[in-house]
Amino acid sequence: MTAVGLGTPRSDADAKVRGLARYGVDYREAGMLHARLLRSPVAAGRITRLDVTKARSYPGVHAVVTADESPKHRNGLILFDTPFFAADTVLYEGEPIAMVVADTPNQARRAVEAIALEIEDWEPVSDVTEALAPGARLLHPDLDSYEILPGAATWPKHGNCGGVLTSDPGGVDEAFQTADVIVEDTLEVPRQYQAYLEPKSATASYDGWRWTIHVSHQFPFQVRSRVAQAMGVTDSRIRVVGHHMGGGFGARLDLGLEQFAAIGASVTGRTVQLVNDRDEDLISTMSRENATIRVRSGVTTDGRIVAREFECLMDGGAYAGDTVYLTSIPMFMVASVYRVGPTRVTAKSVYTNTAPSGAFRGVSGTYICFALERHTDRLAQAIGMDRREFRMRNLFESGDAMLNGQTLDDAYILREAFERVEEVAPWQGVGKGPLKGVGLAAVIWLTNPLAGSATLSIQQDGSLGVSTAATENGSGAVTMGVRQIAAAQFGLDAEQVFVTAPDTDTQGYDAGSQGSRTTHVVGMAVEAAAEQLKPRIFNIASGLLGALPDDLELSGGSVCVRDDPSRSVPLATVARTAFGLGGPLSATGTYNVPLPKWDPDSAEGLLFPVFPVPTYHVHLAEVEVDPDDGSVRVNRYVVAQEVGRMINPDGVYGQIQGGVAQGMGYALWEGLETRDGLYTRRTLESYGLPLAVDVPDVEIIILEHPCEAGPFGAKGAAEPPIVPVAAVIANAVSDATGANITTLPIDPEEVLEALDERREA
Amino acid sequence: MQFLAPRTLDEALGMLSGRGGDLRVLAGGTDVMIQRMTGQLPRSESLLYIGGITDLAGVSRSDGTIRIGALTTHRDLCCDPVITTHLPSFAEAAATVGGWQTQAVGTIGGNLCNASPAADLAPPVLAAGAVMVVSGVDGPTRIPAERFFVDRRLTSLPEGQILLGIEVPEPPANTWESYLKVGRRGAMEVAQVGLAARFSVVDNRVETARLAVCSVAPAPLRLHRGEEALAGSTLDSGTVSAAARRATEEISPIDDQRASASYRRMMVGRLIMKAARLARRSLGMG
Repeated sequence: MTAVGLGTPRSDADAKVRGLARYGVDYREAGMLHARLLRSPVAAGRITRLDVTKARSYPGVHAVVTADESPKHRNGLILFDTPFFAADTVLYEGEPIAMVVADTPNQARRAVEAIALEIEDWEPVSDVTEALAPGARLLHPDLDSYEILPGAATWPKHGNCGGVLTSDPGGVDEAFQTADVIVEDTLEVPRQYQAYLEPKSATASYDGWRWTIHVSHQFPFQVRSRVAQAMGVTDSRIRVVGHHMGGGFGARLDLGLEQFAAIGASVTGRTVQLVNDRDEDLISTMSRENATIRVRSGVTTDGRIVAREFECLMDGGAYAGDTVYLTSIPMFMVASVYRVGPTRVTAKSVYTNTAPSGAFRGVSGTYICFALERHTDRLAQAIGMDRREFRMRNLFESGDAMLNGQTLDDAYILREAFERVEEVAPWQGVGKGPLKGVGLAAVIWLTNPLAGSATLSIQQDGSLGVSTAATENGSGAVTMGVRQIAAAQFGLDAEQVFVTAPDTDTQGYDAGSQGSRTTHVVGMAVEAAAEQLKPRIFNIASGLLGALPDDLELSGGSVCVRDDPSRSVPLATVARTAFGLGGPLSATGTYNVPLPKWDPDSAEGLLFPVFPVPTYHVHLAEVEVDPDDGSVRVNRYVVAQEVGRMINPDGVYGQIQGGVAQGMGYALWEGLETRDGLYTRRTLESYGLPLAVDVPDVEIIILEHPCEAGPFGAKGAAEPPIVPVAAVIANAVSDATGANITTLPIDPEEVLEALDERREA
Repeated sequence: MQFLAPRTLDEALGMLSGRGGDLRVLAGGTDVMIQRMTGQLPRSESLLYIGGITDLAGVSRSDGTIRIGALTTHRDLCCDPVITTHLPSFAEAAATVGGWQTQAVGTIGGNLCNASPAADLAPPVLAAGAVMVVSGVDGPTRIPAERFFVDRRLTSLPEGQILLGIEVPEPPANTWESYLKVGRRGAMEVAQVGLAARFSVVDNRVETARLAVCSVAPAPLRLHRGEEALAGSTLDSGTVSAAARRATEEISPIDDQRASASYRRMMVGRLIMKAARLARRSLGMG
């Protein structure tokens, strides 16, 4: 019996359902103070007056902190472009200008309202086109002098571009000349808000030398280094303790409010808690970037794509954040899945006077896939070929390489995924009917690498403790995946394994829950630790049982003689015996994903160079449009996803269902659009998250091709289900109506106009 | 601020008398509390909580009139047999207000007095030719629904008075009515457009047509020109298209975060055509 492959309940389910789980916002300390930020009410301008005298005199106020009381240097993820508080200029609505620390949240709110703030408004640089136009105001006139992360490779940046990636291997123009038809598309997508249930928060205390920060964060070690960097101190002066997390989806990977809580604590000498209210969370969070994509391809009449050109402008907002890295993502998508001939890529991270954008599940991939797969449909239509047939003709095969030069040895899985979808939803049999349509899209996605570690301790009662800084972001990667992998290593049930909450003081480094890495990477670290522990367990048990260590195995909470299970000793006895024989049974394992080979000359500005441990995905949707109001109903949604090996089917299925729901939101309802630099939808009421009534039960096909270097063969599974959804739905709506969908969310008005045109034709 | 919680109507009217301006009537709180939180209403304003005046809740039917108390919740409207039998458009509208939590505490009186341009109950009330029964210390008076909605979040309810409920004449036999709402998602939406349509038919011809809409003008309104165009017709497609065009002239929609003005304009016409289609089928008009 092994704990792997079972739908074991997650260890946090009961506490979460009963309301017993304590999240970051629930954390309390005696005598704790409450902080609130004064945020910029305008998108751009110069601060002409900031007078906090009156606020300082307000009842209950302990401190008002501004740029004057804060470190003067800029900080950032890779490019140090972000001030602690806005000092002279404000560059986006919601930018922190000052912070009040008071006895109660209400006192802090009142005192914030008492701060005298005057800003000379500037016309905001409100979109990427404006930002790149000649003569545009520069958001960062001193860009060239900004420091970058020590050890990072340099990359091109200039003007309002925080980062530029270019890849032009040559031969593209010549290849276009061999095309029979050339198709060009321009597509545009808005931002998407992560809309986690728990708003951002941080609680910090200071002991005169070190800060302790309580968070619900996907990446506690990132908080540690980023707070240290922002405060200008060394990492080890910061301790970060993690709590239950009410969702993250990428929004809790970089700094949120932690540096503000920290400075509040050191200024007042008290514990300080800072919590976003929902409206400020929505306007200030690093949402998925909006983008404009242009893609042009040449195709022959016999159905071959022969050349491609791709350009993507990513709106990084006022500070670049991780969009500098994200400009690399097109390198893994633009000429993958399908063979497309010589390809030229340009991607830019652009500064605008909007909130900084950042990571969201399926970073950039959601809209790159939308652009590419819409374009694929259009190419097929341009030569009058069936859309599926066209895809199959150009499909990647094993041994084909992505634009970064990385070879995919198992790309045959793509064809298998298409075939498995065909069995469930035959292409010729779905989407038929006057108002129905069918869409298809495929994607290759990575398992995020980055180092991780875990310490295993066999407890005196025979159970197993796993101590790791890996975080449970809600996906089940820790509470199901890591737990089950650890249990299976020792022949235990998952119920006999507990995992501690993250604490950067006591645990080894872990790169956080991002890019589906936790089950894979931390699972491998658990295996590495188990490999150290098991020989010690068998040695001790060998003495207790009078058997050779090689003849022993772990099963049912005991060590048994393999050929004579009646001879066994409980793991608890082994653990207690170990105290006198070399000490407690504890070991730490670490893991880092070996990076595949790539070609460093494949692009300039390639800061994110590879897609390790790739997985393969094909999605299909059948939609039906309402002829009265133009709304879109998704009748069927089919996913074929390759996962290596399923550790917990409930976890994998849940992630797929959830990823599709989130992708449907992106395709059909959500979106943060800006007008003059300000978001137009400013509350969850108007934002348009998907609802249960609108999301179908996803039909899920799991492909298992165990990965040699993966815990029990597991690869990453949680992130990618969101990636192809908008592409698939847009293709299906186009099929149903004839509308050439190039923007998200899909506009019912455009659907109705297309239906009218079709009726008239 | 004060929080007053009278147990009787007289007590409430006494408290309200003479200080209408700074005392806001609170029922389910699904609008008022949010507007206070977001600063649309001053937090200093005192509240008169009428939820304890139980006589103001409930539905009754007598002498050809259906009476709906102001404190009747959306959930009650969805389930009440008098409403679902005689005024189904009220039940349909109430079922689309917010989520279940909102429907359980939100009231018809609150929805109407808040007078949002998107108030879901307003179109059915207008189309039904309802009368608003309001009262101050001097006793009740009646205001036709059409004169009640003045502008965005403005009604003709006099200061110092409370809406007690509405009176709706029982619809004639052979009447079809419905509330058709367009929102972006399948539930929990503020209307992009809402249409209440009611057709009373004699000998396969429309004797009276009533059309009322929300979310397409500062206040919910009746579409008289559209109604006139349909009167006497068999709801044939030519007449309905013409009526839809005429009705569209009567609205003044805006672009906002929920929909564009052009989509709203498009929807009013299409919803009228959909209503006519459903009515023809339901009334067996061929």
